[in-house]
Amino acid sequence: MSASPDSTHTALFGEESTFSNEAHPGIEPSVSSDASENDIDRCSHLASVFADPPAKAGIVDKFKTAVAWHARRTHDSLHPAKRRKVSSPTCDTCDQALSRPFVCLHCSFAGCWSEAHITNHLKETGHTFCTCTDTKSGSVFCSECEDFVFDDIIDELHLSTVLLVEEQNTKFQVAKRGREPYQPWVPTSDDSTALKYIATVPCQGRRGLLNLGQTCFLNVILQSFIHNPLLRNYFLSDRHNSRLCKHSDCTCCEMDNLFTEIYSPTNTPFGPTSFLATTWKVSAEMSGYAQQDAHEFFITALNQIHGTCRGSTNISCNCIIHQTFAGQFQSDVTCEKCGTVTSTIDPMLDISLELRSKSGEPATDNTLASCLRRYTKPEKLGAREYSCSKCTKASHEAVKRLSIRTLPPVLSFQFKRFEHKTSGKAAPQKIDAPIRIPVSINMAPYTTLAMNMKDGETGYPGPDAMYEYDLFAVINHEGQMDNGHYTNFARFRDEWYRFDDDKVTPSTLSDCLASNAYMCFYVKRHLDYKPYMKPTYLVARENDIVREQAMEREKEAARMKEVDDALMAMVGGD
Amino acid sequence: MSKSTSEAETLYVEVHRRMIENGEWDRMLHLLSSKLSESGWTDDLLHRAKENSRTMDPLSLQTILQELLSHAQTSVPLSVKREITTLIKQFVKEQFEK
Repeated sequence: MSASPDSTHTALFGEESTFSNEAHPGIEPSVSSDASENDIDRCSHLASVFADPPAKAGIVDKFKTAVAWHARRTHDSLHPAKRRKVSSPTCDTCDQALSRPFVCLHCSFAGCWSEAHITNHLKETGHTFCTCTDTKSGSVFCSECEDFVFDDIIDELHLSTVLLVEEQNTKFQVAKRGREPYQPWVPTSDDSTALKYIATVPCQGRRGLLNLGQTCFLNVILQSFIHNPLLRNYFLSDRHNSRLCKHSDCTCCEMDNLFTEIYSPTNTPFGPTSFLATTWKVSAEMSGYAQQDAHEFFITALNQIHGTCRGSTNISCNCIIHQTFAGQFQSDVTCEKCGTVTSTIDPMLDISLELRSKSGEPATDNTLASCLRRYTKPEKLGAREYSCSKCTKASHEAVKRLSIRTLPPVLSFQFKRFEHKTSGKAAPQKIDAPIRIPVSINMAPYTTLAMNMKDGETGYPGPDAMYEYDLFAVINHEGQMDNGHYTNFARFRDEWYRFDDDKVTPSTLSDCLASNAYMCFYVKRHLDYKPYMKPTYLVARENDIVREQAMEREKEAARMKEVDDALMAMVGGD
Repeated sequence: MSKSTSEAETLYVEVHRRMIENGEWDRMLHLLSSKLSESGWTDDLLHRAKENSRTMDPLSLQTILQELLSHAQTSVPLSVKREITTLIKQFVKEQFEK
């Protein structure tokens, strides 16, 4: 009954068609958490209220008020500049201060959940619905169903209300201006007409990938691409059509073909032979049937796709790879003598984390958060490693600190499990130290913005929406460095699956988390956009139209000239 | 009821109220959430709730809550408990030593 991050996902990425059993007969249908989002199974009491406009308006208004109140209050209590007395309602039954207010959606009653004050109120008054103000997504309790009910309309209202409050209360840091109010996409009449004739397909695709000879490293990375919502949406929207592409050995086309295979009606395993062949042609070092490192292939594939993607450039590229994976690191070096700070900003596509501290000892109780803390810990640079530009003396003690300046929509982590020992022993060691990764992570503490806030005083780095990420894929490696096997887990909405080359099986969250990750992928729960800008694909399309029209005119002019010349020839020849 | 129990209750209600008004409750909750998430407690509960409900018939919110409540309380890692308790003690000290 806990709020599902994917209900937000649904609201954000639009209505997705529900799971259809026919297209995937070989895969066991999940006990449908989709049921709550399926109109047929919607709470009938809520449905009947929503069918009556004035009743609906009443519930909706109260709901929005409650959500906005809580959003503002959270912002106020976490924002140090606004640390004034925070409003605290009291329970209408027992008068105690309410830390987790439940609010009736029919009247002004607020009450405790744990002592059943709110549920008693609902029973006594015959009011049906109440809402808990402090959940991360819209949840309404129906006293007839005796259950929390989830509804697309409620979810959407919750999202848009919280967003509105945040827009009003937060500003851009550098430009010091307000945010652009969010406008949901509404189809134009042309769009609606076009949409009427579209065949809907299930939005989940799962197929095993055949091992073509030590190619499990390829399969796990491909599965991580397939389950990557941003890549999936890009290729399913036909943004790189392999039939129109003029590149040869185009890895971007291979991605398009891959998605076509995954979303085709068959769900038997297939072999990604042409993807492999293209990878070999473009990157000779990846060729051959020896086992490759999945992470190396990951970076190679990203670079290949970027290179063949339309509109890719070498400086601040806007291709799908950079839009999805590109972030920035900031490295701050502080001179101990004069205090000057030199900052460098570097681009990154993923984050590689050490499992051992500098002294070489494996840390106990490793978690993703502890690895990130180690990564962003200030580190003393030796006297010989740095010379300050401001001080006159040559070498000083300095402190270097890494932080994340820009967070990408998809965060890819690699745990450095393969160490090349330089001391005597030639064989590289694999570090099997267990790592605990969370289902969701808030990245604020590791960002430049948050870390630069005054020590001691916890600053407010912005709303959580900027920093929350959800796990969607995990890659595992068993065995030794050169003699091992890759498998992976991936999530669709709420359900986890395990992939072992061609074998795909339903799995659970805890199996995934206990599997000891080598790489893992998180997707941002809320995407941000630059304000007041036309989307680049629209600009590109408009430029294309202008260019096509110019070409048409030229062709027409050339044709007319031919006709004129022929006429002249006829007249002249008399 | 002994006098000390009702005194404790009154104190609890007062501390609770002040923490909420002060905003301290929300800040502590934020900290507690991130610590519990890092320790895997939150994910463990999520997994249990999900797997329990998969085979539950009839599916009931109250049953899920009952099944999870005692485990949730006992499985809070000791270090997290200690840390938050210390913060609460500090708050009470500051508030009532004026």
